[in-house]
Amino acid sequence: MSTPVHPPAVPDARPEPRRSMVVSGVIGATVMAAVDEIVFHQLLGWHHFYDRSTTGVGLMSDGVLHTAELLGLVAGFFLFADLRRRRAWATAHARAGFFLGLGCFQLFDGIVDHKLLRLHQIRYGVDVTPYDWAWNLGGVVLLLVGVALAVRAARSGRAGTTS
Amino acid sequence: MIFAHVHPGQAAGPGPAGMMNAVVALTAALAYGAAAGRLRRRGDVWSRWRDTSFSAGSGALAWAAVGPLPGGPFTAHMVQHLIVGMAAPLLLVLARPLTLVLRALPPGAARRGLLALAHSGAVGLLLFPPLAALLDAGGLWLLYRTELFAALRHLPWLNALVHAHVLAAGLLFTFAVCQLDPVSRRWGLRVRGATLLATGAAHAVLAKSVYAAGPPGTAFTTADLHTGAQVMYYGGDLVEAALAVVLAGSWYAATGRARTRHRARRPAPEAAVSLPAPAQRRGVRWAQDTGFAGVEPVAHGPDDDASQPAGRGKPSRTSRTPGE
Repeated sequence: MSTPVHPPAVPDARPEPRRSMVVSGVIGATVMAAVDEIVFHQLLGWHHFYDRSTTGVGLMSDGVLHTAELLGLVAGFFLFADLRRRRAWATAHARAGFFLGLGCFQLFDGIVDHKLLRLHQIRYGVDVTPYDWAWNLGGVVLLLVGVALAVRAARSGRAGTTS
Repeated sequence: MIFAHVHPGQAAGPGPAGMMNAVVALTAALAYGAAAGRLRRRGDVWSRWRDTSFSAGSGALAWAAVGPLPGGPFTAHMVQHLIVGMAAPLLLVLARPLTLVLRALPPGAARRGLLALAHSGAVGLLLFPPLAALLDAGGLWLLYRTELFAALRHLPWLNALVHAHVLAAGLLFTFAVCQLDPVSRRWGLRVRGATLLATGAAHAVLAKSVYAAGPPGTAFTTADLHTGAQVMYYGGDLVEAALAVVLAGSWYAATGRARTRHRARRPAPEAAVSLPAPAQRRGVRWAQDTGFAGVEPVAHGPDDDASQPAGRGKPSRTSRTPGE
């Protein structure tokens, strides 16, 4: 049964720019979460595993977010594989979505987690202000790159050359 | 530390109960291998990966029962629980033991009884993923956030009961979330995914709370407690990610098969030239059925395609969308 039942070409192949953007956005956000976890928690040891100043609500939201990142990474890659096999992957939109995802996670982490919920700080025992600015400005830059790429992808899509 | 050896069974080495558990686990592995061999001898397709998975799960259980476990007493306890409650259940469930037993048993009272049990209302209720998750994670909260953990030290029977519960609840949860074996009441991806998310979050929160404060009535060293809590947190992550791969992989395979079927039913102009539609459909059906041959008595739900996870063996790979 090794002979393909169907010809390899997909007759109904049609790029899905919006879905490509959302899927790569999920991958971008979870990749940034993983980078955050690996670099700052494990390599630099700046964050604590748990600093005991976190409130119950903060601890719960942290648990949900952490698990959602894990499941989102897995789901994102399978959704990506699905788009690829359907030839529906729109590369330009996906690239934009990836940067939007990176930037959104970084800003969310910097503002909601660090400042509103005060889950953890970037670093302990030092003045945290420059770190906060660097982190959040980095997020804004990534977000702007994503927006610029999205605008460009939308323009080229309208011109009829969506890949 | 006077209470350094709080967890029974660790200090004294494997007791008779541990040896018995190991023997039971290894016997189950042998029985699985015999049943799978029987299927293959009569010509059924049964992936070797499933045998490997079941053997690994049984071996892990045996090791958790008698083997030397790393770290201080609390860390060792946590490693043991991670194996018994999460890793081994996943490996055992991936091997689809219920499907194997139903196919290996000759038609008769035993198979009818097992099928009736699998399709009974009580089992259907237990396999409601949020309930299975509550039984699993709820038991852990009781164990680590009440005096129960301290009481285990004095009561060997309670200790055995708790371990049995951890294994049973872990198997139930994994079975309900993965939904690989044929049961009558089936749940969609959303329910199972949301359950996995909620359980993973509860597990992570519990691990951090254990890091901050050990189980009431115990006095482990801080280092031991911290290592144990991190083993719980990151070990749980690993198994949850594996569960997510199983869920997403079965979704991927099921949507692939659905597309193949859809296109076989309504062939595109180019495809219609190569083969007449009924022949295509037969070919696709054949590929699907090879994965299920012999389970005809089992009712398949509408969502049944989701019962093929990622990481299947070579023989059933033909049922994937070819040529893409």
